[in-house]
Amino acid sequence: MSTNYDAIIVGAGHNGLVSAAMLAKGGYRVLVLEQRDVLGGAAASEETIPGYCFNTGADDAALFVDEIAEELFLKMHSLEFRESQAAVFAPQPDGSAITLWQDEARTAHELESLNKEDAARYPAFARQVNQIGRVLQEMLLRTPPDVTERKVGELLSWAKVGLQVRRLGNKGMMEFVRLLPMAIHEYLEEWFQSEPLKGVLAAPAITGTRQGPRSAGTTLMMLYQSSNGFNRTRFVVGGIGRLSQALAAAARSNGAEIRTSSPVARILLQDGQATSVRLVDGEELGARAIISSADPRRTFFDLVGPTNLEPRFMRSVRNIIFRGSTAKVNLALSRLPTFNGQQSVEQLSGHIRISPSLEYLERAYDDAKYGRISRQPFLDVVIPTLTDAALAPHGHHVMSIRMQYAPYGLRERDWDAQREPLGDLVVDTLSQYAPDLKQFIVHRQVLTPLDWEREYGLTEGSIFHGQMGLDQLLVMRPVAGWSQYRTPLRNLFLCGAGTHPGGGVTGAPGYNAAREVGRALNGA
Amino acid sequence: MAQKYDAIIIGGGHNGLIAAGYLARAGKRVLVLERRYLVGGASVTEEIYPGFKYTVFSYVVSLLRPEIVRDLQLAKHGLTVLPLESTLTPMLDGNYLYRDGDHFCTMRNIARFSQRDADAYDDYSRSMYFMAKAVKYMLGIIPPDPTTYNPRDLLGLVDMARHFLDLDEEKLFMLAKLMTMSAADFLDQWFESEPLKGTLSASGIIGTYLGPRSPGTAYVLLHHYMGEIDGAFRAWGFAKGGTGGIANAIARSAQSFGAEIRCNAPVSQVIVKNGRATGVALENGDEFYADVVASSLDPKLTFLELVDPAQLPSDLVDSIRRFNIRGSSGKVNLALDALPDIACLPGRLPRAGRHLAGAISISPSIDYLERAYDDAKYGAFSQRPFVDMIIPSVIDPDMAPPGKHVMSCFVQYAPYELREDTWDAKREAFGDAVIDTLAQYIPNLKEIILHRQVLTPLDIERTIGISQGNIFHGELSLSQLFFLRPAAGYAKYRTPIHNYYQCGSGTHPGGGIMGASGKLAALEILKDF
Repeated sequence: MSTNYDAIIVGAGHNGLVSAAMLAKGGYRVLVLEQRDVLGGAAASEETIPGYCFNTGADDAALFVDEIAEELFLKMHSLEFRESQAAVFAPQPDGSAITLWQDEARTAHELESLNKEDAARYPAFARQVNQIGRVLQEMLLRTPPDVTERKVGELLSWAKVGLQVRRLGNKGMMEFVRLLPMAIHEYLEEWFQSEPLKGVLAAPAITGTRQGPRSAGTTLMMLYQSSNGFNRTRFVVGGIGRLSQALAAAARSNGAEIRTSSPVARILLQDGQATSVRLVDGEELGARAIISSADPRRTFFDLVGPTNLEPRFMRSVRNIIFRGSTAKVNLALSRLPTFNGQQSVEQLSGHIRISPSLEYLERAYDDAKYGRISRQPFLDVVIPTLTDAALAPHGHHVMSIRMQYAPYGLRERDWDAQREPLGDLVVDTLSQYAPDLKQFIVHRQVLTPLDWEREYGLTEGSIFHGQMGLDQLLVMRPVAGWSQYRTPLRNLFLCGAGTHPGGGVTGAPGYNAAREVGRALNGA
Repeated sequence: MAQKYDAIIIGGGHNGLIAAGYLARAGKRVLVLERRYLVGGASVTEEIYPGFKYTVFSYVVSLLRPEIVRDLQLAKHGLTVLPLESTLTPMLDGNYLYRDGDHFCTMRNIARFSQRDADAYDDYSRSMYFMAKAVKYMLGIIPPDPTTYNPRDLLGLVDMARHFLDLDEEKLFMLAKLMTMSAADFLDQWFESEPLKGTLSASGIIGTYLGPRSPGTAYVLLHHYMGEIDGAFRAWGFAKGGTGGIANAIARSAQSFGAEIRCNAPVSQVIVKNGRATGVALENGDEFYADVVASSLDPKLTFLELVDPAQLPSDLVDSIRRFNIRGSSGKVNLALDALPDIACLPGRLPRAGRHLAGAISISPSIDYLERAYDDAKYGAFSQRPFVDMIIPSVIDPDMAPPGKHVMSCFVQYAPYELREDTWDAKREAFGDAVIDTLAQYIPNLKEIILHRQVLTPLDIERTIGISQGNIFHGELSLSQLFFLRPAAGYAKYRTPIHNYYQCGSGTHPGGGIMGASGKLAALEILKDF
């Protein structure tokens, strides 16, 4: 067995690649092992049908931390972001539509026809979201403090966050504390009257979770999704997979080795230390540090094995709430459909959200609570070909539809039987808002939570590697007491979205983990 | 010219009376003004139907702080708490879950559903006990203001941080989970059987407008455990004479220290001169003067009705306007000709019917409670509500004529705002839904009802004045607790108006017949004298 590596990273999702690139840049010998033949995990672009390139997982790269892109010179590795002026287009059941633009003044102007008071309050709302978003952003690249040890050095690092909070002023500070545990429903009710506006603004708050707009803590999720700017919409030219490829290129340029189609079967231990990994084909590879970008349940139960860890620790891992609730439908289209209330193609270039009211979302959630697919689901649609026409044959389009709620644990029937009915439901729902959609569909791909689990290795299909609720954030992520990317096993680390700050294409978990691994490798 | 007092307390609910008791005990001349003909607010006993005493609103006690019982010598003034020893959770399939003070009996009962749960129950009970004990610290402190650099506040924060960081790691994290999780998720970590999870999670939704799957309800669950730390486990009790017995004991205590209590004296306004409260005006025009005025009413009434909001800073007025005080519960009180027969556990007193002397909880599963909440979310009362009931006359025979009984049913959800129709039009339909639900578990119920009193949130608001009928004077959500209760910067019982104080459940720690708000407020007032 060779132990030529300083670090082996299990999984080439974007976080695994960020870790790899950062460690390689730090001079460590790094090997990345990816089970699929495509890089990027849930941030991948794949030519599922010849000629059409789909973002199979995430679409939007707005949250990706700019410092990471700069530190790794991702631009040099041909990463090109493209922002869309239109943030959200929200067609309504009555045939009208509202558009939120990145430009707040433009949005406020547009909202005037909907509700004058709401339009007048919108800029102040955007200001508050941005202010708090900046504080949250300050937390992204920090290792959560160890609350039981009280190390001065750690607290100093967080003092900067405290300073940001202080900068909000006395009132702003208390408002910050008050808002975080609130339900998005309550928060938006405090600001606005118009149902369509509240509906569309609430959508980011429930993304990736099995919670409804009345669930406490969803305001924090909305703010998290806005941490790089309220309504910021940013895509990657060539599809989000290009971001992963740029990360891989950055890693390789610093000497990292990346192997695809190399599924890891087991993380091997010796005297309670992680020493190597065994691939499915039997090959064993050793390193000074093993870093798993897989989610914590998969890492500890499947890769390490529960018998190698204390029962108490394993109980906390078992108790992590995953609850995948998201499905995805990718469509290849021969033409661009026309949406009700749409005036220009530009309006469609950001997100298109079917989320007409808070009650619509809440009722969609009600179904999921009892283990059913939402009869009237929330949809978040992106048409990547409007950013980059090269993703489909000339004149054709690809459409990426994220759907909620599709609960992993269905009470009746199973996901294999529900896959195509789910595809029909999504297309039918969207057709109510884009009547000509069906006639342009050339091909359809449906990904259920079960597919996420099977093909992408996401436990219960949870796109965030564990629900991002108040009880599973910061020092509680992935489990209480182990929020610093380390694990009870020496030399085994975590770097995936199951660690702080969590899901979304931020790169932050991978970045923070690399820093901690670097420290450990240096004997700190 | 009316006579002058040291302090006037607006509202003769238990918090108002406790504040009065503490002030009088310190030698102050205190006047309590109560709008109704009797003191007690939500803790009153009234003979609504001849011979039958209803414990009209609140009906059980456990949270009342023991130091208050001691300081105000409530036992001497007639407070007797009779134990409520069991909880029965009947199920429609004829099965039931029975838990009581006999530990092994409870374990056997739980084991009928799941041996694993029976094993975990011990551990769970112990954990909740420790958690409640850790949080109990908070009940005794004035919330420090984290935004100021005032040394007293900073010391308070440091002391608080030290208190919690001194907990061992496991407890600290469990506390963090309790503060943020839903009751359902929290209980899922311990148990698997539905009736046990259902009936335990019910404590997490009482008084809130949230379902058991809503994050934040685990805290309410803990809040309801806090009374148990000072007595025996599950030390819920029933005050002899109903909850009115508690109010009367506190009132007698306050009077023994020299406080004056006037009923039928509705206050219309606090008299404010040059930014100072100087007294109050009654609806009939009478005026009373005092150095200090304290309102035990809810924050909306305290800041938006009793004083002119224009005299208050706009940030406070905004906060109070959006203060979440949605009423979600109702009450059905019944006079019964005979004892009810529970289908799943037939049998009568004295031996076989021991369960009738405890609480009976219609909470067969988390889904059941969640569905009840779903109705309320969309502005309708629950078709199949959560009901928590007791039969006071079994515990205290004085509550009803011999052989007859009273039954007290707490019902959730009854949202204050109905989407269709008004509560006046829906009151009886709501009562019917409750009785129909109960009749599924108690087949003889309809035949034995002599009289029923249905109280909607609107009735609670009209009768005892609490805005929207919210029994906690405001939702016990994280955004409205501690230094945020009732509003940031105003959590220390004072108000921007000099000499005007707040002492009701809408202040820290709030909720239930706990009395901590009244006591802490009185101690703050005394500091300023």
